[in-house]
Amino acid sequence: MKISERFIKVGSPLLGALLLALPGLAPANADLQKKMSDPKNWAAQAGDFFNQRYSKLEQINAGNVGKMQVAWTFSTGVLRGHEGSPLVVDGMMFVHTPFPNKVFALDLDTQKIVWRYEPRQDPSVIAQMCCDTVYRGLAYAEGKIFLQQADSTLVALNAKDGNVLWSVVNGDPKLGAVNTNAPHVFGDKVITGISGGEWGVRGFLAAYDINTGKLAWKGYSTGPDNEMLIDPEKTVTWTDGELKPVGKDSSLKTWEGDQWKIGGGTTWGWFSWDPELNLVYYGTGNPSTWNPSQRPGDNRWSMTIFARDLNTGVAKWVYQMTPHDEWDYDGVNEMILADIPVKGKPTKALVHFDRNGFAYTLDRATGALLVAEKYDPTVNWATHVDMKTGRPAVDPTFSTSKFTNPQHGPDVNVKGICPAALGTKDQQPASFDPKTGLFYVPTNHVCMDYEPFEVDYVAGQPYVGATLSMYPTPNSHGGMGNFITWDAGEGKIVQSKAEKFSVWSGSLNTAGGISCYGTLEGYLKCVDAKDITKELYSFKTPSGIIGNVFTYEHKGKQYIGVYSGIGGWAGIGMAAGLEADTDGLGAVGGYRELQDYTQLGGSLTIFALPD
Amino acid sequence: MRYLEFAVAAALCVVGVSHAQEALAGKKQSDSDKALYTVVDGYKVDADTLAGFRAWRAAACDRCHGANQEGMVGPSLIESLKVITKEEFIAVVRDGRLDRGMQSFGNDPRVMDNIDHLYAYLKGRSDGAITRARVQAMD
Repeated sequence: MKISERFIKVGSPLLGALLLALPGLAPANADLQKKMSDPKNWAAQAGDFFNQRYSKLEQINAGNVGKMQVAWTFSTGVLRGHEGSPLVVDGMMFVHTPFPNKVFALDLDTQKIVWRYEPRQDPSVIAQMCCDTVYRGLAYAEGKIFLQQADSTLVALNAKDGNVLWSVVNGDPKLGAVNTNAPHVFGDKVITGISGGEWGVRGFLAAYDINTGKLAWKGYSTGPDNEMLIDPEKTVTWTDGELKPVGKDSSLKTWEGDQWKIGGGTTWGWFSWDPELNLVYYGTGNPSTWNPSQRPGDNRWSMTIFARDLNTGVAKWVYQMTPHDEWDYDGVNEMILADIPVKGKPTKALVHFDRNGFAYTLDRATGALLVAEKYDPTVNWATHVDMKTGRPAVDPTFSTSKFTNPQHGPDVNVKGICPAALGTKDQQPASFDPKTGLFYVPTNHVCMDYEPFEVDYVAGQPYVGATLSMYPTPNSHGGMGNFITWDAGEGKIVQSKAEKFSVWSGSLNTAGGISCYGTLEGYLKCVDAKDITKELYSFKTPSGIIGNVFTYEHKGKQYIGVYSGIGGWAGIGMAAGLEADTDGLGAVGGYRELQDYTQLGGSLTIFALPD
Repeated sequence: MRYLEFAVAAALCVVGVSHAQEALAGKKQSDSDKALYTVVDGYKVDADTLAGFRAWRAAACDRCHGANQEGMVGPSLIESLKVITKEEFIAVVRDGRLDRGMQSFGNDPRVMDNIDHLYAYLKGRSDGAITRARVQAMD
């Protein structure tokens, strides 16, 4: 707030000077960087700042992973969906749970609980969470554990004893502003977002000082330029084949009246940071409501990739993937930073697998659009992305908005849209393997019928405005997921491995030549990174897996771990919600079958090779 | 095509309530000839019941109770409405059951202004008389 007020008074010329002065001065967090560079630790949710989810450990490898066994397990004592993963720092493991957001610090020598922390939260927050009471994990830096509670309170705990160092309130849960995202530490700041796109919450990204909890900056997704920390002259976006300034009121012009105030664009995904460029990358979620006929315009900057300066929060570039969203294709999925050849040219790339079914490769320094291709060939809502305008070519057959297709709109049920609202991929993060140069992507293979309807906004109440039914992609392999490898430089699927259910688990690649992920039935699977159709290991954990696979080393031994605990949008939403008279009876059977494989229950399973 | 018309009386399932309440429910029933809901073909309903469906949809009840009221994170309303009284139903919707994840809709006019209609719609679903969640207006 303080920064944005200053912007109003100072105006953009001085802002420009500020921007020129600051790059290079980023106070790199030496402690966290050092912890990350030691592969024995898993010091951040993705293992690094780039969201690569790659480990240099190679004791467990393609040759011996088949012999892997369960080393130990830990029950979290909490039901419902378990997303994210624990952290490991210097022989301690930090375990988190969904609401009530417990934290356990475990000594890896003994697996004894050294300390535990359970915040006091008003249980009414449970009802304000759209898609289960998930929480995607903790962050670590300089002897502190950062906990982002569901009720939006951000807390710093002493990693040694669990004592509270500071806490700050990030949103108003009474209005539906809650949190499910993991906080991320970049430099001397802890970055967090906000959830509540289905409650009409106005999204933002906020940066707090890791030592004091003081707000450094807050950049909204919608609204006036100064509140978005957008410089009309300097913030650029891909326009007519080149990068041009967004201009004045770039968001306000794309909303009717005051709708931007309840316009969504929430920020509940994974964030990344390039320390050299000092840019923070993330995506914004759906515009509210889900009935697009109520919100004419592009609804900027919902559904957008943002690159913000870590020090000031000012946006360097933006790119809107799905203008005037008609399908709930949130743009929040992780931005993976990798230096790869793109169409033969070495590039500092940002790679993003969007809910809308397109995988985007951009130049992360400039924001230039380089590649945008479907990563599931059955995606049908758009034929392609126009590389000059950067806009999707929407097929009006699958439009749900009267502005795109005058025959469609409220109370018209549009059938056969692919992908479904939960996207070709949701939050489950992909991994990048520098050895193969490929991305390993857990995906959904699900389509939907979408019927929007008129809805009024009531503060603190759901503001959705569409009824959906989802089912496995018709005329395909019958399953609801695929695990794929992707060439982001060319925009091509390399291999695809069919899965019975959506792969709602973050994958992990290691220098041992393996790629591991979990399934909704509850299997932890490891495949050959060079040929993902070769399943090298499979083990059924106690419940369905929606958590992310992680690895660490302790006393000379490599471990691989994952949470199980079915839930989240996929786990609960898909096990029910269909009636027999919707398309494809076999499909309905496919969903219900999940109940035959798994029940609720949170636990952690840790694997290792036998002694 | 043969049209079956269901005119279901307000047959509230009264479980474990006092005699006074039972008598009140019975009196109501005899006082009014008006059916709780009217449905044709299993999915064409009267205007009030349609308003109940619209309240259900606007408040996004399906996110927890399932698109067909069969239950997800929240319980099956097909089953629940066989057990709880109308008064209990209204109290839960108005006040919520916060510890179990049911929010309060007491300050939501979309719901509270249509609470009788919402009950009628859900009761029709629970009775099996309304055979599809997605209902339409009668001709």
